[in-house]
Amino acid sequence: MRQQGQSKQLKFDEIFRLLHFCRTVETEGTDPFDVDVKRFLQTLKQYQKKWRSLDELLLDADAIAELAKIIELQEHWIKDRSSSFYVDPALLELKLRLLEPQQLATAFLAAWRPIIAQDRLTPQRLQEGLDYWHALLPFDERAEDFPFPSVSEAPIELEDLIESHLFSKHEFDEVLRELSTELEARGRIDYRDFIYNDSFETSVRKAYLTSYLVSEGRANLEINPLEEEVFISPRTVDEWIEGDSGRTRSIPVSVSYEAWRAWKKQQHEKRNLGHEQSGS
Amino acid sequence: MEEAAAREEESRTRAERKLKKAAQLLLFRQHRVPGVKGWELKRALGEDYLAVLELLNAALDNLGMEVKRISEEGSEGAEQEEKAERDRFVVVLKSPAVEKASGERIDTIAMLSATLAYIISKQGKASRKAVEEFLSAKFPKQRIFFALDRFIKQGYLGEDNNVLYIGWRTRAEVDRKTLLDLILAT
Repeated sequence: MRQQGQSKQLKFDEIFRLLHFCRTVETEGTDPFDVDVKRFLQTLKQYQKKWRSLDELLLDADAIAELAKIIELQEHWIKDRSSSFYVDPALLELKLRLLEPQQLATAFLAAWRPIIAQDRLTPQRLQEGLDYWHALLPFDERAEDFPFPSVSEAPIELEDLIESHLFSKHEFDEVLRELSTELEARGRIDYRDFIYNDSFETSVRKAYLTSYLVSEGRANLEINPLEEEVFISPRTVDEWIEGDSGRTRSIPVSVSYEAWRAWKKQQHEKRNLGHEQSGS
Repeated sequence: MEEAAAREEESRTRAERKLKKAAQLLLFRQHRVPGVKGWELKRALGEDYLAVLELLNAALDNLGMEVKRISEEGSEGAEQEEKAERDRFVVVLKSPAVEKASGERIDTIAMLSATLAYIISKQGKASRKAVEEFLSAKFPKQRIFFALDRFIKQGYLGEDNNVLYIGWRTRAEVDRKTLLDLILAT
């Protein structure tokens, strides 16, 4: 019995040692041909029939996965050596140590084809800047909203607001419930149409609150990056429970002053078009 | 006959307009990162944006410049069309015609040059620690940390789990084979 246990431990030790070696090759970037894949496979084959428990089978699967990675690295290694980029790393390192900074810089400049990209200030961009300036509250008024002593670089979480007695959990849940009801009433809708309104400040506030609905799985976001479309739709309680309730999700959606302005302009144009059509 | 000539004229005007728009989009910065994504060009120029870029390339050729397509995954050059929408397009100089095209300090460029050559020789990736140690033979540690962070921010290097690799901007701007040849020949 004891002998059986010892032989099992030996098996494990040998596999762990090989696994560790494979991982070292992967992380250190050493020669993947140092791993004798054939021998490793023979070792695994030898033990394969003796595996019984789930742990043993998982270890076996792990070993096969590591071997697959090593074979992939060997393929890259061969490709790299046969490519025109291949130079002996030791030789190049020696050469680099011997060269003066000027020589290195000269070599770089001779191989450099810089991207040509010019910054420009257009009248339209200036106008946007001016509009932003007009919409911006004076600094002393804004300072009341964002008190100075907050030096922390970490983002302020809901818990921080509750702890500071700036917001109560009940109040927050109430606002979220209202938002959820609004989304249910409006159904599937363009995300911008849902969060943006006449004021940029309240739009940002709504976007912040909406992020909680999405993270908690109470609303769905559908993103089409090519068309730059984002739709939001409510999730029913059943969907929420059947789906991934309890698991938080993170989807970055940008809310910017420019995007809000563009949305407002679009709404204005739509309204004008509606008036013209009803007039005619 | 006249109608055909008018149609031809109209199509030429449209092509010229698209060409100008493509040049403006590519030569003037739209975002913090230089270059324009394929899907942005498609939206601005239409379905035939790749053909417009070919025309632009021919026009830029006379000025010693070219449109280069860079994939985020690392490959370069023409591949299937749907992939082009995810790729980044930039205009680069075809040859190093200008003597000084950057305000960078010479030791910063030397650090970049050495780092790139070192990483290329290590099959395109090396641990940050190894690069830092290698550079520390000639530069103070503090400057190395600062320079590496800057190269990453500029897109010359990428970093994943403390491993440095060749960034998209190096693939767009640096002729890696020439760099290695020049270093070995110096």
